[in-house]
Amino acid sequence: MSTVNPTYTGHKEQSATKSKSNRMPFVLQVTTLAWRSLVVNFRTPGAILPPLILGGFFLIIYEAQLGNASNFFLSGTSYINFILPLSIISSALSGAGVAGQSIVRDIESGYFDKLLLTPISRIALILGPTLAGAVILAIQATFIVIVGLFLGVEPATGVFGLFTVIAYAMLLGLSFAGFTIGIALFSGNAGATQGGSFLFFPLTFLTATFVPINLLDGWIKVAAQINPITYILDAMRSVMIDGWVTETLLIGLLACAVMGISTFGFSMVGLRSRTARK
Amino acid sequence: MSNREIIASNLVKRYGDFTAVNGVSFKVQSGEVFGFLGPNGAGKSTTVNMLTTLGIPTDGTATVGGYDVIKNAGDVRRVAGVALQEIGLDPIMKSMELLTIQGQTFGMSRKQARQRAEELLELVKLSEFKDRRVGNYSGGMRRRLDLALALVHEPEILFLDEPTTGLDPASRRDVWQEVRRLNRSRGMTIFLTTQYLEEADELADRIAIIDRGEIVAEGKPADLKAEVGGEAINVTFHDIDDVESAKSELHGMVDRIQVDRQTLRLYLSNAAASVPKVVQKLQSAGIELETLTLTQPTLDDVFLKVTGQRYDADGETIEAELHAV
Repeated sequence: MSTVNPTYTGHKEQSATKSKSNRMPFVLQVTTLAWRSLVVNFRTPGAILPPLILGGFFLIIYEAQLGNASNFFLSGTSYINFILPLSIISSALSGAGVAGQSIVRDIESGYFDKLLLTPISRIALILGPTLAGAVILAIQATFIVIVGLFLGVEPATGVFGLFTVIAYAMLLGLSFAGFTIGIALFSGNAGATQGGSFLFFPLTFLTATFVPINLLDGWIKVAAQINPITYILDAMRSVMIDGWVTETLLIGLLACAVMGISTFGFSMVGLRSRTARK
Repeated sequence: MSNREIIASNLVKRYGDFTAVNGVSFKVQSGEVFGFLGPNGAGKSTTVNMLTTLGIPTDGTATVGGYDVIKNAGDVRRVAGVALQEIGLDPIMKSMELLTIQGQTFGMSRKQARQRAEELLELVKLSEFKDRRVGNYSGGMRRRLDLALALVHEPEILFLDEPTTGLDPASRRDVWQEVRRLNRSRGMTIFLTTQYLEEADELADRIAIIDRGEIVAEGKPADLKAEVGGEAINVTFHDIDDVESAKSELHGMVDRIQVDRQTLRLYLSNAAASVPKVVQKLQSAGIELETLTLTQPTLDDVFLKVTGQRYDADGETIEAELHAV
């Protein structure tokens, strides 16, 4: 101990703010990181606005082009009720890239390493931006619902049905966000993350996209049956058209859970891979 | 006083076939400023990554503040503050926001974290810029904010990875001053990596020199320099052809000669008293001198002695001719 500085006089300058516990509650870790991610995203609206506009645009186009053709399978309800959930899911797909891009930006700026050096939970590092992505998606879904209301949306379950649709969109957003965050952590690259996000794109079309699943046939029907998005879409459509169908809603929730757990696991593997490379 | 030691035992880090750090061992005492010196690519930052839990060692062990960097990574993060070589700041955020979040991650309430942020902004002279986005800060301001972030939780051990690289001389002196203050007033153990010999000499109680992933020298700067020898005579010639002739002439008079382009560096005991003899010898051989100076040994000499190469911060290998006679 010969080199201990002789002028050391103890913690004279200890701040009054020194924390005793040095541990932030887990829920607060997630919400703090989510808040920070939201702040950053709202300060760079360029990433949020295009999916927002795109979702509303799709809704208007689908309604205009397919509205009249739908009479043969939609008895007594308008096509806008049927297609609104698809517009929201399409928007979710493009909006989910926001979460991955947030992580890439943090990796590139070095701030991600700064967070890794704090005692914050690794799970919170993933869940924070994931939650932020879901919140952004809920905002986008709300916007599309408002556009839908102008186009004549009349859900069978009333205003609570619309909230349910937005809630399902949020759950789906969590899954998509987890996937893009995983790609971001594996690649650390904005282009790869953007490209990786579009791996989800076929999933929104390999489903009962424009017509109910019972009108599909052959390979596309098989694809739709094994695609979890089909069941989420079914749940959202059921509250718009049929009313509260418990079984359909539960299956939709299960599909959300399966996708969410899978993509969260994928993002955790991505995080492990990133730290192992250091 | 709590355990503020850093102990590395045979740390190894491999990336595929490339070994970045090869069996590095050292012990940093509590309250010590330890300089970890080496050219670019020598393995300094990789070692810091492992000690700060950012990277996982391929082999070997290390403890920071008594905590194992693998088994007790969370505890290491709580006792250590880290300012990495790459300044990790989100350009979209404001300094006040970043410091507040940092404080919260270490368990402070939002109010406490904001109060601490105010203290630190005052300390690093950024109070008037606290509501400006970090992306608009100069390099020096960003470096100061990064240091403040490392200090938020009042760490007992501070890792500074090349804290002055890219800074202007005035900002560099500010950082030096702050390092000394933190060490003296708080007894903080400081692990400082640098590529500047002068910086290590100025700040460190002890240094270790790392080259190509291995520690090649360790000790107090004064002791390491003393091992190299006493004063040296530097003789520079107008004509590069005279260098060889002068070397032959002076061969028997000195302990060691180093040739560096048009300069001969002569290591001999009692160098000052030997100056007249050296001048006389060269003049009588008809060799014209350009300059002659007396210098104390530097860490550059230490590096040359242990690696056989002149020190170059950019990591380029510059072979110097070293003659023991």
